[in-house]
Amino acid sequence: MAAFDYSDVVPEVREDLSEAHGKVWSMLAEPGNWWRAEDRIAIAQESRNARSCELCRRRKSALSPYGDEGLHDASTNLPAAAIDAVHRITTDPARIKKAWIDDLGESGISHGHYVELLGIVVALISIDGFHRAMGLPLAPLPQPVAGEPDHYLPSGARDHGAFVATILPQDLTAGEADLYGGSSQTGNVITAMSLVPDSVRMLTVLGGAQYLPASKVADPTDNGGRALNRAQIELTAARVSLLSDCFY
Amino acid sequence: MSSELSGDATNLDSVIGGSGVASGIAGGDVLTAYAEAALGDDEAEIAMSRSAVQSELGDAAVVDAAAVIANFQRMVRIADGCGIPLDEPVMMMSQGIREDLGLNGFGGAANAGELGFAKRVLGRVLAPFAPRMLKRMAARRAP
Repeated sequence: MAAFDYSDVVPEVREDLSEAHGKVWSMLAEPGNWWRAEDRIAIAQESRNARSCELCRRRKSALSPYGDEGLHDASTNLPAAAIDAVHRITTDPARIKKAWIDDLGESGISHGHYVELLGIVVALISIDGFHRAMGLPLAPLPQPVAGEPDHYLPSGARDHGAFVATILPQDLTAGEADLYGGSSQTGNVITAMSLVPDSVRMLTVLGGAQYLPASKVADPTDNGGRALNRAQIELTAARVSLLSDCFY
Repeated sequence: MSSELSGDATNLDSVIGGSGVASGIAGGDVLTAYAEAALGDDEAEIAMSRSAVQSELGDAAVVDAAAVIANFQRMVRIADGCGIPLDEPVMMMSQGIREDLGLNGFGGAANAGELGFAKRVLGRVLAPFAPRMLKRMAARRAP
């Protein structure tokens, strides 16, 4: 948690942000369903590497992102296909295709591996993004906890039209009963990573502190007690989303 | 779309055009400028835009804005990385907004699925009621 001691930061950072970032950092350091903890930390490191990767820069400006097969500017021992996945998600997510995700299987990267990797990348980008916006140094990555992945696949996961299987609220089983806060309906962006339930849990922890708690989202006039009103929050969110080519 | 839902008179052109376009929201120009800077790597520009938010909206607003900017940098990657389809009722009711914002040209639009002719027409007919209907959809689908 020391990595997210914001007590000396000016302007003062809300305690719930410190707690959320610390919680996600702790989850990151644990073995996952598909990756060992040291791999998970390596995935986070590669996401940082991708920001200055020359291959990613070339691909981003290329008509097709799948034509240039050069080497990424990497610093970890992850499999090449995993490094490629991390870098693509970080720098050019809008052009990811289902066929490419399916092909990762030939390199031993199953849909479970992929969704867990995605969950790590987006959590890292989000926490690093807060630090950059606030002018703070990036937090050192956590030390990995020993252990092996358990290869857990939730039984309620089905094909619902996304690239990967997802769990609808009505298909949740006991192990994932908490996933959508007991709601009988939820948006596709919330169910997207449910093949790896902890990825949704990290999403919820971060979203509750960085945006709004789930219970506040439905009422478009509720700002959750933030200093910004809801219109200011949504304008900021919309501008970030548009600049990121976010259709959803 | 969310500003439309909140019922505020918001100029959606400010979402497209950025900090140079008046949004109709207090502090909208400094918030969009902060968002634009924070997505880049120019630390001086980030610091300047952060300072502008601080001056106009206060210390706590800086933290809240930084947190929102951080949060939505990951949502696009989740949506595009998993290729999630847009929920069909939202797809139907948001045709006009998506066209206004130019969202249909984004890569993720290819994953959204397509509406049949009847649903496209129905969406157009119901367009005047879109803000109210989208608000009800949001209330039902929020976690």
